[in-house]
Amino acid sequence: MVLLLTVGCFFLALLWFSHARAETDAVPPSTWFVDMNQYAASAHGSLRCEECHTGMIGNGAGQGIGKSHPDPDAFLKTRSRTDFDYQACQKCHKTAYARFVTGAHATAAEKQKAGEKPSKAGLAPDCGECHSAHYSKSHLSRSQTGRIMTKTCGTCHQDQKESFLANYHGKAGVNLGYERAAFCTDCHGAHTIVSLKDKEAALNACRRCHKEATPEFANIIIHDSTKNLELKSDAKQAGLKWVHALRAMVLILVVAVLAFFYLHTGLLMLRKLHEKLRRHK
Amino acid sequence: METIVNPEQTFQRFHILHRILHMVIIVNFTLLAVTGFVLHFSGFGWTRFLVSLMGGAGAAGWLHRCCAVCLYMGVVIHLCWLVYYKFVLKQNLSGPDSILPGKKDFKDLYQNVRYCFNKGNPPLFDRFSYLQKYDYWAELLGMQSMGITGLILWFPEFFSSILPGYFINIAGYFHFYEAVLAVMYIGVVHMSDTHLAPDIFPMEKSIFTGKIEKTRFMEEHPEEWKRQQMINNQPSG
Repeated sequence: MVLLLTVGCFFLALLWFSHARAETDAVPPSTWFVDMNQYAASAHGSLRCEECHTGMIGNGAGQGIGKSHPDPDAFLKTRSRTDFDYQACQKCHKTAYARFVTGAHATAAEKQKAGEKPSKAGLAPDCGECHSAHYSKSHLSRSQTGRIMTKTCGTCHQDQKESFLANYHGKAGVNLGYERAAFCTDCHGAHTIVSLKDKEAALNACRRCHKEATPEFANIIIHDSTKNLELKSDAKQAGLKWVHALRAMVLILVVAVLAFFYLHTGLLMLRKLHEKLRRHK
Repeated sequence: METIVNPEQTFQRFHILHRILHMVIIVNFTLLAVTGFVLHFSGFGWTRFLVSLMGGAGAAGWLHRCCAVCLYMGVVIHLCWLVYYKFVLKQNLSGPDSILPGKKDFKDLYQNVRYCFNKGNPPLFDRFSYLQKYDYWAELLGMQSMGITGLILWFPEFFSSILPGYFINIAGYFHFYEAVLAVMYIGVVHMSDTHLAPDIFPMEKSIFTGKIEKTRFMEEHPEEWKRQQMINNQPSG
């Protein structure tokens, strides 16, 4: 009875843990409609609407400095997140905005303005694409932020997300909540978004945690995936070939050894059982 | 010489040191497997629960490293004992009692496979059967390569200064696949060969008690039994 209860509690705890994890993941993006209860609990909850949506100050007839609210040209007709002018963010987030403007995501946005395809995914994210301005909470732990971040970055960078989650950093950080693990922005920068194909930049990123890293340390493959090879440095492309060749070799060896011994022991057990049953007849 | 055979008569099979080292292996191997696989399979919710029981990913990592060090100390003690056995006790490491693989082991394997298909008799083992020898060598050599790949993963800063960076990735794969091999081998082959065999089931105790019953001794290690009888009979005969 006690044993049964213990086992039951154990499995309930397992379920609870699996469930608790799914809950912390969800941060809904901003849309045309705002859930004021959730907004009030968010990081921006103390701000009045007009502090960001300066256009709202208009008198409803298209007069004043802003547009009427709701804006008849945009409301429900455009993507709410693309419609917003994110220059408003720099009022408080000066450094982040300055970094963003020089970063790879802003460069992609400029390309889009010029009529080119901004990136492979076809998107040039601005602030609101990654940050849920209405619902993001503050005072999250590193691993909570990291988990949300992995999901956010992963919507466009799917392969990189998968390979990160297959790596020690992603497993310990995202899956097990290890606070000291490195998440996306710890290496690639939060707003500058550096590809780290440049060796010097990569080594500097490693050295933020691994103080004694030598140049070769930056050739350790974190995003161990053969997809998007052109994004990787030559050294990593060469390394990946070896890694996967040797991996296949070891896999074959393991399967062969196990197959041999499973067959051997399986047959022998049957034979011995047969012998025993015959003797007891 | 005893003339009346006691059916419960037992013989010493394992030295106390080897029994202790075997316990060290059991405890540390299991903990290493658990703490290692919870990291690799951390995508599942239940591993988070196990890790939180251990006190988080950092603590699980340290537990893994501590167990690895303890396990390797066992290897070192064993190797020291081998040196002591050979040079102080002046015993022979080769010969029929040896754990070293010999021609007989391959013959025994062949004979055993034939026996499986009902062709001929089962092989007559000496002190260690070929599977027991394989267990020993797989463990001893496996711990060396697990140790090396583990150290590479433990100190990537140092090892990437003397090896190409991607060797750390290779070490990661080797460490994982060998762990899978070890757990799937020990968990299935070693367990069934020792405990599940119809004559032994439900449990083989000789590695824990150090003793083996006479009937099983005669049945499972007939060559050794024969040699011992010859040695014992010599002075009287």
